[in-house]
Amino acid sequence: MILQNAILPDILLVLFPFIVLALRIFASKHEKLQWYAANIVLFTVFIWQNCLMLGNTQIYLSNWKIDTFGIFMREVFVLGSICALWFAKDYFDHASTGKARLKEFPEFIATMGFATLGGVIVVSANDLITLFIGLELATIPMYALTAWNKKDSEGSEAAVKFILMGSAATAFELFGFSYLYGFAGSLNMPQIATEVAKNASSPLLWISVLFLISGVGFKLTLFPFHTWAPDVYDGAPTPVTALLSVTSKAVAIAFVAVLVFGPFAAVQQTVAPFLALLAGLTLLAGNLGALKQSKLRRFMAYSSISQAGYILVAVLGPETNAKFAIVYYLFLYTFANYLAFFIFGIVGQNRKEDFVSLRGLSKQNLTLAIGLVVALMSLAGIPPLAGFFGKFHLFFAAAETKHYALVTFAVLNNVLALYYYIQVLKAAWIDKPEVEPCALQITCRQKAAVIILMIGVIACGFVPMLANNLFAGLKF
Amino acid sequence: MTSLYSYSFLILLLPLLSFAVNGLFLCRKSRKASAAFSVLCAGLAAAYAISVALAFFTNGATPTVAWQFRFLPIVGDFNANIGLLLDPLSVMMLVVVTSIAFFVNIYSIGYMREDMSSGRFFALLSLFAFSMLGLVIATNILQMFVFWELVGVSSYMLIGFWYHKPSAVSASKQAFILTRFADSFFLLGMVLVSYAVKSFDFAALNAVNLKDFASIPLNLGIMVMPASDALTIGAALIFVGGWGKSAMFPMHIWLPNAMEGPTPVSSIIHSATMVVAGVYLVARLFPFMAGAGNTLCIVMVVGAFTAIFAAVIACTQKDIKRILAYSTLSQLGYMMFSLGASRLCDGSINTLGYTASTFHIFTHAFFKCMLFLVAGSLIHQVHTNDLDAMGGLRKKMPFTYIATLIACLAIAGIPPFSGFFSKDEILMTAFQSGHVAVFATGLLTSGLTAFYMFRLFFLAFHGKARSEHTAHAHEDFAMTLPIVCLAVPSLLSGLLAKNIFATKFVPGALPVATAEHLAHATWIPYAAGGMAVLGILIAALFYARPKANIERALDVDNRCKLYKTINHKFYFDEIYYAVVRQFIFRGVAASARFVEDWIIGSLVNATLFVVRKAGALVREAENGYLPFYVGVMIVGVIFWYFVGKLPL
Repeated sequence: MILQNAILPDILLVLFPFIVLALRIFASKHEKLQWYAANIVLFTVFIWQNCLMLGNTQIYLSNWKIDTFGIFMREVFVLGSICALWFAKDYFDHASTGKARLKEFPEFIATMGFATLGGVIVVSANDLITLFIGLELATIPMYALTAWNKKDSEGSEAAVKFILMGSAATAFELFGFSYLYGFAGSLNMPQIATEVAKNASSPLLWISVLFLISGVGFKLTLFPFHTWAPDVYDGAPTPVTALLSVTSKAVAIAFVAVLVFGPFAAVQQTVAPFLALLAGLTLLAGNLGALKQSKLRRFMAYSSISQAGYILVAVLGPETNAKFAIVYYLFLYTFANYLAFFIFGIVGQNRKEDFVSLRGLSKQNLTLAIGLVVALMSLAGIPPLAGFFGKFHLFFAAAETKHYALVTFAVLNNVLALYYYIQVLKAAWIDKPEVEPCALQITCRQKAAVIILMIGVIACGFVPMLANNLFAGLKF
Repeated sequence: MTSLYSYSFLILLLPLLSFAVNGLFLCRKSRKASAAFSVLCAGLAAAYAISVALAFFTNGATPTVAWQFRFLPIVGDFNANIGLLLDPLSVMMLVVVTSIAFFVNIYSIGYMREDMSSGRFFALLSLFAFSMLGLVIATNILQMFVFWELVGVSSYMLIGFWYHKPSAVSASKQAFILTRFADSFFLLGMVLVSYAVKSFDFAALNAVNLKDFASIPLNLGIMVMPASDALTIGAALIFVGGWGKSAMFPMHIWLPNAMEGPTPVSSIIHSATMVVAGVYLVARLFPFMAGAGNTLCIVMVVGAFTAIFAAVIACTQKDIKRILAYSTLSQLGYMMFSLGASRLCDGSINTLGYTASTFHIFTHAFFKCMLFLVAGSLIHQVHTNDLDAMGGLRKKMPFTYIATLIACLAIAGIPPFSGFFSKDEILMTAFQSGHVAVFATGLLTSGLTAFYMFRLFFLAFHGKARSEHTAHAHEDFAMTLPIVCLAVPSLLSGLLAKNIFATKFVPGALPVATAEHLAHATWIPYAAGGMAVLGILIAALFYARPKANIERALDVDNRCKLYKTINHKFYFDEIYYAVVRQFIFRGVAASARFVEDWIIGSLVNATLFVVRKAGALVREAENGYLPFYVGVMIVGVIFWYFVGKLPL
């Protein structure tokens, strides 16, 4: 029975950063202890969450709500953290040429743990204050993580940009929240929902919608609030970039889903044109920006901007379809994105992280080259890889509510996306290196991670084919 | 027994496994290992198929779906399934395909011994068998189409296996394009029919009664027509797919040209896979086709004409593989017109046609496979396909000689060899159908068949040696073993399987009346046998007499116009060439090229220009200047205030 207690994994997750920090303070001699502890806790939480009963909503202390969508999103966050943990490990273990080695791994883990906790709070919030705390808790550790490498001036610059713009975005959000409270007279989300259903034409409500979406648009890198992303992604240490592109994005989309299907459920189709425009312009901007990049992390920034646009498309659909599509896509997005980052990380160990460094990869290490194909083709949405089915469900959700124009636009944009993803593959498979590339250093952990993630991407594509509908019968 | 059925997908998976393992791992490492693995998989599949067949026929032969799963829900109850159907027809084909594939695999060990890329060959051969097996066990027409195309692709790769030979490359392209051309009609027909019936399943299609559909209007987008008319058109279109795949006139030219592939490939194409698929398609959809207007009449006319047309050409050829190719065409014509002739003039159906046709698929597979293997052996020893360079091989290759004699007697239709029984039933169908011309064509073709087969037989094995290669000819064990093994079914399959076919191979419930009380002409076996004996005697007179003038018999230059026309296959290759060159290349392709270069090309360039400029705009906005970024955020909110379509 204890396995099905939904609140215990959350409590364990709250304790997680403190456990790691306590081990750092009281057992500082054992360097590896914190790493092992972090792994044990995160895997325990992940497995535990997988054992939870789906389908019923439980409310603890009136403002902590655990529902099906929340459980799935928790799994996404924890999975992202595990990937980030494994990915970051090598950056702390040994120096790469030209870059300073990262230090203070336990603190890094704890900070990351706080960000993960923030995501969990967002999907559990049942009132506006909790929601806001969750969103801030998911964002503030990111500022610190961006500047983790204190000797790197680019990282510091990125962090300054990030924190200033993030503060502006937080201001927007708070402004939106305050108007929403003014409008509804309550912080409780179900009560706000009933108020919204009663009085949908109030300007107070719509000002708050505009500011809330704009505020979260910063975190979700929606157009035109995406401008920080390329600079910050490029400046931050690579593990942080990966974390930003997956966990931060997942938190933001969860926030949008919680709002749109919670308080704003009654006016979803009135907000829909706004969201459709946002999604369309975002994915266009992301795709156009990614066309001619030479730096890998900058490229991934634009790629993740366009992915955010694709995910936002699903929010227009009916609740169950939309939430299913978002959850499914986030799972495989986590797999594919971390797979790409692992490969870029390995290549970037002793070289610059740009397209030229990828040249000759297919000759040097076939596994990595194939992994790159799997990751990027999945991101581009080529069947039978997972990305195709993910995008199919995203678009299908929006098509259910007859947003055909947006779906068509998104599908056409996919052509552009294919173009730039193939540019990366061209560098890895076809272009000849000008100078003999230096040897790659791969640890067993990295190799295992690449292979597991590759299997994950492929399996995510085949599982829905075998079982007709993975989430059949679930209502979100 | 149920577990035997439920694991019957192994029959498919074994060749697929062999393809994957050979293609991915073994083919570059060791040619011997890949041959051994391929033979092992084919042998296991054949053994499994035979045990399934034994269990199936001893347990009443009730059609069952061994397993099935939905892989694409389309709308409502309309699903695309993948399944495994076990009914008399598919079980029979499973046995034929797996056992032929097994023998051909063994044979290829010998035939491809000197070829450096034989690993690739075994991989592709397994893929070919897998595709055909998938086609045979299909429970629905969509699944069949998928494997149908796979058969096309794998045949393309096998015909062009020796890709360094330009003739092989062009032959493979010709085969692929021509069958693909026919397949596009199949696809159209499939869409039309499944749209009208709202199902892909054979069970549903075969239960269609046109009368129920006559009053349902069907909206085709450009016009509205009664669903029954659409179904009739659909049936005819589906048949066109089989028309091309089975190489019926005038889409026959790819089959003789496909002889450029390695001989084991020809053997498997002609006996068990690929060309039989067309006949199989019509047989599988027999109740549907029988109900769909005059579709079966088209089948009959096409089949009968191809039967005699190909037989006439075969009488003048010198290339042994081409003779056999035309003989296949002729035999496929038999199978087709037997199915077609089931429909009597009054519209009722004579089920004997179906029985006879499936029976002929069965018997023909063994002796035709074996004849090609013999041809391969001869070519391997004499280093040419030409009858000019053979002769007198009887002493050098005694086992092959006896086996060939059995196969020739079987195809000629001499009792008690296998071909006699099936051909007899086909002629009976033709006679009972009341179409006198078709019956006469069938009877005449039977005589011609005996003639050209024994012409080949005498010219290759009898008489004096006509080249020095024949002196070194010997028998290769790996190649002779399958030939001798196949001689057994060539001899006995007709006699033993006659009753099974007569009782179990009747089409399911038909939507139209079944013909009863048909005259059973007892003289037909004698007439057919007589024609065959006559053909053999004429061949013996020309080519096996001690004083026979072989030079004259093989001379093609000093001949009358008619002979030359026939020898040049009625100039069909040239006609195709001219049509393709003048009409398709110069006309259609050139105008398409113009549209491509100027209209589409400039559209693409314009799009590219716009996208590049827009991309530059987005990238230049990233100037790294923080106040600008914050400004953009604030302007962004104002922008969305006006543009966001919010009810403010």
